[in-house]
Amino acid sequence: MSVSEILNGLIYGDLTRSIEVFCPEVLLCVTVIVLLLLRLFSLDHKIPPYVIALGGSVVAFVAVLLQFVFFTTGGAETNLGAGETLFSLFQLTEAGVGSPGELFTGLLMHDAFTLFFRLGLTFFLVLVVALTVLTGIPDNEDGPDFYTLLIGSTIGMMVATSANHLLMLFLGVEMMSVPSYVMVGFLKGRRSSSEAALKYVVYGAGTAGIMLYGLSLIAGLLGTAEFAELGPRLAYLIDGDGVTLSNPNIVVTLLGVMMVLVGLAFKLSLVPFHFWCPDAFEGAPAEIGGFLSVASKAAAFALLVRFLLAMTASGGGELESLNLYLGLALGVMAAVTMTFGNLAAYGQTNVKRLLAYSTIAHAGYMLMAVSAMLVITNAAESSGWSAAQVQDGAARCVEGLMYYLAVYLFMNLAAFAIVALIRNETFSEEIEDYNGLAHHSGTMTVLCVCMGVAMFSLLGMPPFGGFFAKLLIFASVWNAGSIHWLMWALVVIAGLNTIFSLFYYLRVLKAMFIAPRPEGVRSINMSGLVGAYVVVITLPILLMGASPLQNNLSATARYVASVLFP
Amino acid sequence: MEGVGINGYLAVGAVLFVCGVICMATKRNGIGVLMGVELVLNGANVNFVAFSKFGPLGLDGQIASLFVIVLAAAEAAVALAIVLNFYNNHLTIDVDRANELQG
Repeated sequence: MSVSEILNGLIYGDLTRSIEVFCPEVLLCVTVIVLLLLRLFSLDHKIPPYVIALGGSVVAFVAVLLQFVFFTTGGAETNLGAGETLFSLFQLTEAGVGSPGELFTGLLMHDAFTLFFRLGLTFFLVLVVALTVLTGIPDNEDGPDFYTLLIGSTIGMMVATSANHLLMLFLGVEMMSVPSYVMVGFLKGRRSSSEAALKYVVYGAGTAGIMLYGLSLIAGLLGTAEFAELGPRLAYLIDGDGVTLSNPNIVVTLLGVMMVLVGLAFKLSLVPFHFWCPDAFEGAPAEIGGFLSVASKAAAFALLVRFLLAMTASGGGELESLNLYLGLALGVMAAVTMTFGNLAAYGQTNVKRLLAYSTIAHAGYMLMAVSAMLVITNAAESSGWSAAQVQDGAARCVEGLMYYLAVYLFMNLAAFAIVALIRNETFSEEIEDYNGLAHHSGTMTVLCVCMGVAMFSLLGMPPFGGFFAKLLIFASVWNAGSIHWLMWALVVIAGLNTIFSLFYYLRVLKAMFIAPRPEGVRSINMSGLVGAYVVVITLPILLMGASPLQNNLSATARYVASVLFP
Repeated sequence: MEGVGINGYLAVGAVLFVCGVICMATKRNGIGVLMGVELVLNGANVNFVAFSKFGPLGLDGQIASLFVIVLAAAEAAVALAIVLNFYNNHLTIDVDRANELQG
């Protein structure tokens, strides 16, 4: 193929359509370049870097939001008058954003599932940038570097959620990891920060290497790297040979899948790949802890669902039992992860470390949904489920996962944001220094009440969003119990874990509300803007629990999930 | 002369991978651990190129290895910066000395 042929293929192929869908990522890249140029022309003293970062992320969020609206409504029906103008501003077309399918000759995927995650990620980026403006963690000197890393990491996550090719899977994971190593060690002079970054980078680079080796085995053995081809090729490869451990093809493929799961489990901080998580979160600024705990976990879950669905696409016959065992193994991993996270959180004295163990436990709850999805899609036929039931059951699992991630975004960000804001006033992140904070007047009381809402939601108390998220996941996993009893056991373990987690969440609240205010503490005055920000991110937790928004969100999640199971 | 065939390349890749993993697990020096990571990545690269030469993977494998080379360079730059930062604060790059965060 000559160069001109390749160029023509690029130009007349799907390039225009791909760029149209990829527009938000391009906008974020432009923001990064502007931030870097700012330093080059020494404009960073005239224009604060956060203005550009905030502007760029808001524009990217609007771009994804428009794509989402255009995609779900088909572009025709908008009750907004400005909708039409905005659609034409971003040049959204029916053939481009309006139609799901592959982009960039099959490297990326564009569908409702991807859009939902990209929407969440860009929205989260806006919230995190706003938080860093309030807490002032990067000063003007470091601002361009910090926002470059933050936005770069988000671009990586967006690529990861739309990956449709093994190479993009690896690139996405690396693009979101490498900047986050630096962000964890961003407080340069601190011993704890540098230690956290070292641990994170050593574990992260190691697991990424192992994951890449696994990818090379899968790609080589199946002769393709495209997700859509993986399942059929696997079925073809073992056709007639039978699924036994004496078949080298099966052994090597399994090895490859396990190695890839190691890499993803590291990002999700599942036991036994969780060692980095508490250390990294304790050493890093709380803002970064919040960013990593939500965004990189959401992206890794999207990748996990896509990768597993691709590998198990054409189960059929003997492969099914293998996939069932994979699902059950993930279920066991989920049970171990949540139990360990909750037990380890119990003895913590540092709030950030406590929240780190709590995110490990939450990864366990969410992994339950993925494991139930695999069990349902692969073993339902043998236990007499109809095709419609299988589709419905699996979609419910992914719906639960997405609802959980949506609520988790707000409740975990709120918790970490409040820790960061309190740190700015009291210079401490120890639970004992939280004693009597609620007895201060003004904004601090608002912060404490919001912390209460976030903690009760993390715990899963009824009126809050966390309860309905847990309910959706537990119900979908319970549903899978009629296929394998282990799923019922999983729900019971998760229920016990939920009760147990009550104790350590309440310890923080007890310190805040019940413990007396220590003698001689100066009174704390915080600006009203801080209170407003915290209320804005806490309000959705309530709305997702007890308002019509709950129905809207679960219906959207349902629609998005059903796309994965045609 | 008869060619080496795919098995030879895969064996080299596997040996590199195992050496890298052992290096990551046993080295106490931070830079030694990073060298182990490089070995693992290059083991995977040998696999990719071998599969693309002998298997149906085609150019995808070679492109993948090019991307991995670039990523490995980026990762090494970041990791060395972090190790240097650790040295500035702790006056050592022994990863076993990174034990102040515990619990």
